[in-house]
Amino acid sequence: MKNRLIVSFPPHLHKDESVSKIMWMVVISLIPTGLAGVLIFGIDALWVIILGVISALLSEGILQLLGKRRVSILDGSAFITGLLLAYNLPPKVPFWLPIVGSFFSIAIGKLIFGGLGQNIFNPALVGRVFLMASWPKYMTTFSPPLSAGAGFIHPFDAVTSATPLAILKEGKSAEYISYLDLFLGKRGGCIGEVCILALLLGAIFLLIKGYISWHIPITFIFTTGVMTYVFGQKGLFSGDWLLHILCGGLILGAFFMATDCVTSPLTGRGQIIFGIGCGLITAVIRLWGGYPEGVSYAILMMNAATPLIDRYTRNRVYGVK
Amino acid sequence: MNLAQFLTIFISAVFIYNVILSRFLGLCSFIAISKETKPALAMSLAVMFVTTMSSMITWLIYRFLLIPFNLTYLRTISFILVIATFVQFVEMVVRKISPALYRFFGIYLPLITVNCAVLGVAVLNVDMFFVNTKAVPGSFYYSLFQGICVGLGYTLAMLLMSGIRERLQLSNIPKCVKDFPLAFVIASIMSLAFMGFNGFRF
Amino acid sequence: MKKLFNEFLKGIIKENPTFVLVLGLCPTLAVSVSVINGIGMGIAATFVLLGSNIIISMIKNIIPDRIRIPCFIVVIATFVTIVEMTMKAYSPVLNRALGIYVPLIVVNCIVLGRAEAYAQKAPVINALFDGLGMGIGFTLALILISGIREFLGAGKLMGHTLIKGFEPAYVLGMPSGALLVIGLLLGFFNLLKERKQ
Repeated sequence: MKNRLIVSFPPHLHKDESVSKIMWMVVISLIPTGLAGVLIFGIDALWVIILGVISALLSEGILQLLGKRRVSILDGSAFITGLLLAYNLPPKVPFWLPIVGSFFSIAIGKLIFGGLGQNIFNPALVGRVFLMASWPKYMTTFSPPLSAGAGFIHPFDAVTSATPLAILKEGKSAEYISYLDLFLGKRGGCIGEVCILALLLGAIFLLIKGYISWHIPITFIFTTGVMTYVFGQKGLFSGDWLLHILCGGLILGAFFMATDCVTSPLTGRGQIIFGIGCGLITAVIRLWGGYPEGVSYAILMMNAATPLIDRYTRNRVYGVK
Repeated sequence: MNLAQFLTIFISAVFIYNVILSRFLGLCSFIAISKETKPALAMSLAVMFVTTMSSMITWLIYRFLLIPFNLTYLRTISFILVIATFVQFVEMVVRKISPALYRFFGIYLPLITVNCAVLGVAVLNVDMFFVNTKAVPGSFYYSLFQGICVGLGYTLAMLLMSGIRERLQLSNIPKCVKDFPLAFVIASIMSLAFMGFNGFRF
Repeated sequence: MKKLFNEFLKGIIKENPTFVLVLGLCPTLAVSVSVINGIGMGIAATFVLLGSNIIISMIKNIIPDRIRIPCFIVVIATFVTIVEMTMKAYSPVLNRALGIYVPLIVVNCIVLGRAEAYAQKAPVINALFDGLGMGIGFTLALILISGIREFLGAGKLMGHTLIKGFEPAYVLGMPSGALLVIGLLLGFFNLLKERKQ
């Protein structure tokens, strides 16, 4: 589907790109993360990913047929939604969870708004918070990484294998795990959020190719880091910001979900505001809220504010005062 | 009277138990008027003014009239009469001071009387800050502040929703969910998002 | 006689206060967590609607037009207070479950809306049937919504678990779920209306 709608002023340079091609490029950038997830958590993770993606594609196809609209499952956007939703799930969820989640993402997060380009909220995150509110037990039961095996010394809870952020939320220290382990993903968590290395590979690819811009991810991560540094556990300016950046869904969210061009502001200025807002809310929830992680909620709230942000950060039109 | 309590009231009223997205108060006007930003902002400011003032007046009436004379069962009637009178009064004042502003508000001003949020916060204040017909220390200030914060929460939800619905006017939404149904779905997603602030502790 | 029956019927389907007139949403969403609560609120609201419609229709010629809204509100508030006190006395559990939404029946758009749009212009008997129809229509809507929310959101119906091993979606018991259910139901009924044409 070639996007012929141009929102800037001449002269223009032509780039051989369509919306569809960009989508599939994003899918490619997410493949390392998926592989890492499967390597770290085993075959269960692979099933979650497959079910999530297939459910998204089928949901979109069937609903579009029923609504007598053009079936657009080949443009890659449903694939991305299913993939991202799966990446936001713990590895050992019941088989029907990603199926229901993807269906909800596509139906309520995307199609009810009129389809691609018209949704206000990130569809994958809509599905995730829906699942989180509906079946909290399944969404917060994590398993340790496979590599852990018998030698893994989990400090507190061998059964639910809490994530580092959950342990922090209880007020205990998360020093049992090293930064390197966090970077490689040797921790409990959602399938696509743990391996920072794989995520950054994909993110750098997208940045170099110009499919996402630096504004949102950098301001998002920076703001969260600053906040968690200033309001540390042991008093002001003592926070372990590196731990916070490497934990939870921050990297996944900042690079791959907050940057969704449909649901984030158009201009650079707007994007910086968006990034700062996301960072602030994420930090506030992590530091003082009831949940250990706040990235999904932060992004959705800023999605809601995006139309207003766009309205007040419009570029000056040449010739108009 | 402590700061933490004020902070809790603020976070509760604006985010966690947002008057519209969580308590469902003021929904009728929310769904009807949030289609465009200007009327939405006007309505929000008017509502905030009324919730603040009526929180004060209803508190005083409850404390110095209803309790001493053992008439607490007349709470509902007296509160709503106070609110209706107050809104009528505001209407008259606005009309006198600035006819342009009065025309700008139009029908929205009298509609505030039946805005559940206004009566709701008055009843909420009494439930939260009176224990067995005795006022909790600092009760008046907490009630007043809660009135302000409920207005702020209303404004926040209205602004976000009107921004969204204005943008959606350019989309080709399926006909059967246009306007009301989609507005509810959007409110539902916003409500889910705001749940992120649950369990707030300072 | 047929005309009166039509007055009654229109409140149930054609001008259903919840799904067609889209009125009185605040209590609808708040109390529709379980069917029992829904029925309780429906009956309370019907009583108020009936009482206020009748009284207002009876005194419509005496009320000066300028202050008619406050007058309506006084009448409605009186009936609501009666309901409130009755509930507190005979059904404290239900009263606690419905919470602040009982006094809020005073500003329920349905009650005031019917008074303004109908009761003040119609003869007492018509107002009676209109009130009854609207009240029952409201109650039926409440039962539908709370039925869905209780079954899918808590796996129960009227407090009894129906299907073993069914994993309910807790979100439906929350405000978000309520908004979602009513949005989708409204869309569904719109779809039916479209198909009919």
